Amino acid sequence: MNYAHWGSRVGAYLVDTLVVLPFSVLAVVFGGMSTDAETGQVSGPGPLYYVFIVLAILLNGYNRWYLAGKTGQSWGKKALGISLVNEATNQPIGAGKAFLRELAHFVDGIICYIGYLFPLWDAKKQTIADKIVKTVVVSA
Amino acid sequence: MRELSVPERLGMFGLGVALAAAVWPSVTDATALAVPCPLRTLTGVPCPGCGLTTAAIALVRGDLVGAAAANPLILGLAGVVLLAMPLFGLRALGAIPPPVAWSVRARRRTGWGAGLLALASWLFQLHRLGVTEPDPLQLAPSF
Repeated sequence: MNYAHWGSRVGAYLVDTLVVLPFSVLAVVFGGMSTDAETGQVSGPGPLYYVFIVLAILLNGYNRWYLAGKTGQSWGKKALGISLVNEATNQPIGAGKAFLRELAHFVDGIICYIGYLFPLWDAKKQTIADKIVKTVVVSA
Repeated sequence: MRELSVPERLGMFGLGVALAAAVWPSVTDATALAVPCPLRTLTGVPCPGCGLTTAAIALVRGDLVGAAAANPLILGLAGVVLLAMPLFGLRALGAIPPPVAWSVRARRRTGWGAGLLALASWLFQLHRLGVTEPDPLQLAPSF
């Protein structure tokens, strides 16, 4: 099997991040915390902050859980020509498992993000999350 | 894309780290962005990779002692970069054949070696930083 290179995976992740970045920026610009000029009191995030954050989460969910789970390719993976598949069947893993894989990335991050570096030396170029949910990323 | 050996892949990664370390201080100065250690932030316990950002920045500035004091693993990564570059060049010129897959035994031995190295680094960081109070707020996005 032609496993995807770490660089391609990072590139795909960056594209996926760029897709939701405008919503995060809008959340901060239009709904972020503000300081009252007279009293100096800091007020919490306004309603627009939550609107844009929810939009960002929905878009991210559609892209990285639904699309990546159903077709094997989020927008980022499609742009980089790679695909997320089941290790045993070589088929897309479904939205539910794609969501679980996203949760499993917690393990990759908690050890100083070293789990994200595993594809650099692993035989199947898997992250720890990939090993947990038994997925691989391959060249499409 | 041409297949690279593990040292070459780590070497390329190391070059990326050097590049990032060269620009990272400007990014943090301009944006106040930070990459806190999730384990230390959530539990107060440092992880084996703690100090790598500081070490990488010190190393690209030529401060070997400062780099080693923050996390000696960075010197190992620098060594891999130095080893990988000629390897990469020779393979690009066709002077050496494409890499072969490691045997299961070699993989297992390397895995144990890496594990022991991580353990040593963890003990070093525990000695250097100790166990502090957790601060989950640090993980919240800041702008």
